[in-house]
Amino acid sequence: MQLFISQLLNGIGNGVVYASVALALVLIYKSTGILNFAQGEMALFATYLTWKFTEGDIPVVAAIALSAGIAFVAGALIERILIRPVESAHNPLNVVIVTLGMFLAINSLALLAFGTDPQKVPNVFPTDSFHIGDTNIQKETLGLIAVLIGECLLLWLLLQKTKVGLRLRAVASNPDSSRLVGINTGVMLMLGWGLAAALGAVAGSLVASTDTAFDASFMQIILVYAFAAAALGGFDSLVGAVVGGLVVGVADALAVEYVDALDGIPVVLPLALILVVLLVRPNGLFGSRTVERV
Amino acid sequence: MATDVDAPDEPATAPDSGVPLYAALPRPVFWARVVIGGVLAFAALYAPWYFQPVDNKVLSQALYLAVAAMGLNLLTGFTGQVSIGHGAFFGVGAFTTAILMVDHGWTFEATIPIAALLTATFGVLVGFPALRVRGLYLALVTLGLAVLFPQVASKYVKGSGNIALVQPRRREFSSLLDGLEDDQWKYYVCLAVVVVLYLVAWNLTRARPGRAMVAVREQELAAATVGVNLAGTKLWAFGLSAAYAGIAGSLSVMVDGSANATNPALYFRLSIEFLVALVIGGTATILGPLVGALIVVLLRRNTEDLIEGKEVLSPAIFGGALILLVYVLPDGVVGGIRRLFARVGSRRASVEVAPEPT
Amino acid sequence: MKRIRAVRFVSVLLVPLLLAAACSQRDDDDDAGTDSGGDGSGDGGGASSIDTADCLVDPTSEIEGDTIKLVSSFPQSGVTAAFAQIANGWKSYFEMINEEGGVEIGDKTFQLEWEDQDDEYDAAKTAANIEELVGTDAENAFSVFSVVGTSNNIAIRDNLGDQCVPDVFAATGSPAWGNPDYPWLIGSTLPPYSLESYVFAELLKDQKPDAKVAMLIQNDDFGAGYRDSFEQAIEGTDIELVQVETYPAGATADVSAQITSLAGSGADVFFNGATLIPCPDALAKAGQAGWEREITWVSGTCISKTLMGLAGENAAGVYSISNIKDPLSPDFADDEAMQLYREKVAQFTPDADVENGIVAYGWTQAALFVEALQQAEAPTRLAVMESVRSLDVGDDVGLLAPGTGVTTDGEDDPFMGERFDLVQYQFAGPDGPNYFTVVQDYDYEGQTADLTPEDLITGG
Repeated sequence: MQLFISQLLNGIGNGVVYASVALALVLIYKSTGILNFAQGEMALFATYLTWKFTEGDIPVVAAIALSAGIAFVAGALIERILIRPVESAHNPLNVVIVTLGMFLAINSLALLAFGTDPQKVPNVFPTDSFHIGDTNIQKETLGLIAVLIGECLLLWLLLQKTKVGLRLRAVASNPDSSRLVGINTGVMLMLGWGLAAALGAVAGSLVASTDTAFDASFMQIILVYAFAAAALGGFDSLVGAVVGGLVVGVADALAVEYVDALDGIPVVLPLALILVVLLVRPNGLFGSRTVERV
Repeated sequence: MATDVDAPDEPATAPDSGVPLYAALPRPVFWARVVIGGVLAFAALYAPWYFQPVDNKVLSQALYLAVAAMGLNLLTGFTGQVSIGHGAFFGVGAFTTAILMVDHGWTFEATIPIAALLTATFGVLVGFPALRVRGLYLALVTLGLAVLFPQVASKYVKGSGNIALVQPRRREFSSLLDGLEDDQWKYYVCLAVVVVLYLVAWNLTRARPGRAMVAVREQELAAATVGVNLAGTKLWAFGLSAAYAGIAGSLSVMVDGSANATNPALYFRLSIEFLVALVIGGTATILGPLVGALIVVLLRRNTEDLIEGKEVLSPAIFGGALILLVYVLPDGVVGGIRRLFARVGSRRASVEVAPEPT
Repeated sequence: MKRIRAVRFVSVLLVPLLLAAACSQRDDDDDAGTDSGGDGSGDGGGASSIDTADCLVDPTSEIEGDTIKLVSSFPQSGVTAAFAQIANGWKSYFEMINEEGGVEIGDKTFQLEWEDQDDEYDAAKTAANIEELVGTDAENAFSVFSVVGTSNNIAIRDNLGDQCVPDVFAATGSPAWGNPDYPWLIGSTLPPYSLESYVFAELLKDQKPDAKVAMLIQNDDFGAGYRDSFEQAIEGTDIELVQVETYPAGATADVSAQITSLAGSGADVFFNGATLIPCPDALAKAGQAGWEREITWVSGTCISKTLMGLAGENAAGVYSISNIKDPLSPDFADDEAMQLYREKVAQFTPDADVENGIVAYGWTQAALFVEALQQAEAPTRLAVMESVRSLDVGDDVGLLAPGTGVTTDGEDDPFMGERFDLVQYQFAGPDGPNYFTVVQDYDYEGQTADLTPEDLITGG
């Protein structure tokens, strides 16, 4: 029983990570309708920045805030310079190619700028645990959960309670009508990407801080799980992203513990999971159905 | 632009209308196409005599990539079902061929139809969930496949040295014709496969199945109301495109020498390459995947050692080139060329042009 | 009218093509100088232990000219680019030898030359690179040297074997390099993984005969090698392997679930068979989980300044084996060989991290190869390969650790890394000095084949 709880907590810990990245993916999708394959690498670059700042004796929380800020600006610029020119009526797959090109380029540039050695981001949260009976609850896990809740709260406040948020939602739902009522859709798109990039930066840096080290490939497997989480929850639902992340994380941890047949093929689980969910609810658990007009 | 009496720009995505070429196009355009086609065909046939074995290998790689990209084209370009998992089908084809050769002593050529059949079956199986799961979500499920395949292969395939590497002896692929060196022979085999499979695709897309595919892509609901069998079309599109990818995988065993799943990201990367080749070349065109494949392979090769001492940078250069290409040629290379011809041709004889249905 | 113009147009296009045909780039003189099926057996002095009857290229032909060309393929971009440091070690050594005049084989002197390509750790790329670097008739290189990665060497051994081109100092400890079907492939001083397991079992028999062992391994042949060898080594003892967990190969796999599981298994000994980042990560997670252990062992592949540095205090007291002097260890600060190494690396590859153990490893392989070259009977592939397969040197070559040495003996003993030290990590705080110190030495000369499950050597 105690082992079950430990693995459950492990799963929640990982799930929170997947959820944070999934939030960024969903945010971009909701605001610009694009699947951003480069999300992980953008987060990677920001994580390297965080590390570099901490090497320069900046306290880690400030370093994360700094790189999130830089990521925000970079994300907005990327939308304007790389994504927007390609977002026309030509071929919707063009944008996919651009994000893939970005994936390659950003990863390579990070290796060039920061070297190939694995690095460490200093711990943000205390590394010890609470002991409840026989169970250890790591303070890091609680910290990550708290940050996730904070992010969700901020996003909710932004989207539901501010004018900017209202505009963002308008542009996400109907860009043409929004333009007609005078909303500067361009700025809103940049805002969406900037926010997502900042979220990714925070997620990447926090994950790296809880791990022994990170290197240039660490976001890649996280991205796959984050995609699974977003698909599970529904790509246009922020709530779905969080729920999806937790489900994927927990399922993965429990599978490692209890299902020996999955030894060596752990990715079967998230895949099977999203397949089953999508067969029952083709738009994800919380996604909305699109009405098709003939 | 709107006041021109020119023929409307051919949208790159419209299939051929079935009207014979020489009637549909103005004279100079037609002859230009014949000449250029002739030159290219000659170049394709002569190439292996001109180039070194190393370069022929690169060309052969481009050719099997072209086969896979055409497969993806059938599914994604024409039928509108986005897949980023075709690398998995490629892998199934490759391992089928390699295992049949190494464990059961088959000759290479005999394994190709089996690989095609097996991957087609898998393709249809994958197509079933696709009936319910759509668009973005389908793309992600197929992505999962590409990530899953090397893990499954590593777990169940124990090849040379107990790793997921199955490597037939080099002599199994040696030339069957006396006048040809091994690398030339391999090139011609790939070329022959490309020609055959492309002709098949061309005929398919010009006929009823092609129209059904496009109908499914453009307006599923409307298509269903006019009697297009949605499920059937999707399923055999999946099966057929998977078979193409599987055949490409078989060819890769001949060209590269082995079926290899030791790199966990390989089949994902291949899936992306197929997609890139398709889009850069021009989706829903016939020559697009071939052109795209050539560009991708040559680009990758040339960016590899571009900056001495900074090999880390080569993926960045490659990625940057992709972004540039997409920006400059948003309809792919073939789409861009079509526009060019349309503009050139329509200035000469706007009367002769038979209107293309959109 | 238009038709004629078209025809002329076409014929004009054909002219440059015909010209191109006349001056083809392709050179077809494959048959110059290389025989197929040479019967170069026993070329003077003793029977060859290598059967050369089926060689596609004659291995007894002498090197033309006065350079020996070596080729290699290893990761230079991407996450595994850290392995490229190995090359800094051997390049420096070869430069030093060239500077001193070169290598003497018999009465001729040769300069060393080398070329390498990036394979991003991908075995398919390695095969393509080596094929290009060596050439279809082996005309471009004398030997392949220090290719990194087990699957990478496996991908090239068939073709190189057919061509009878040496592939020496393969940079992994796979027992598969002892496979008698591939006499042209030989490993390096990295101790075979199966021996590592055996030594660990011996350590336990000594210090904790009733140990309950938990093992973390990669989910591929590398991990399976550890597990199968260990299981064989503890047969008939009171040592129990209570649980094995695997993680997918890849630099940044997360192992927290696996460690939690192992920690909860009741084991009091931990065999950390992980490599790259998962290795220190496992140590850290084990510490965090509060796993009470008496003995922890790390894979020899984890002994590097970077990796152990990342584990920090969680690495204190862990055991492993090594046969290369650790540049970080104060024990060797005044060692002559170490000083020479530092000097030459700084001179020839100043960008290298001289304190990184893998650079020292690369240096040592080069030293051993030069030794083999100098002892070869003739400047031919066959003679050089046989020389590599009959090495017998002590710890005065390269940076071999004190008390170790390298002995090989054809088919009977194809393993180089059978003498090594048991080392233990000393941790003195984040500012060091942190290094591995020698506890005792082991000599398993000639015994690897006996101690390794047969399948690991000949499998596949």
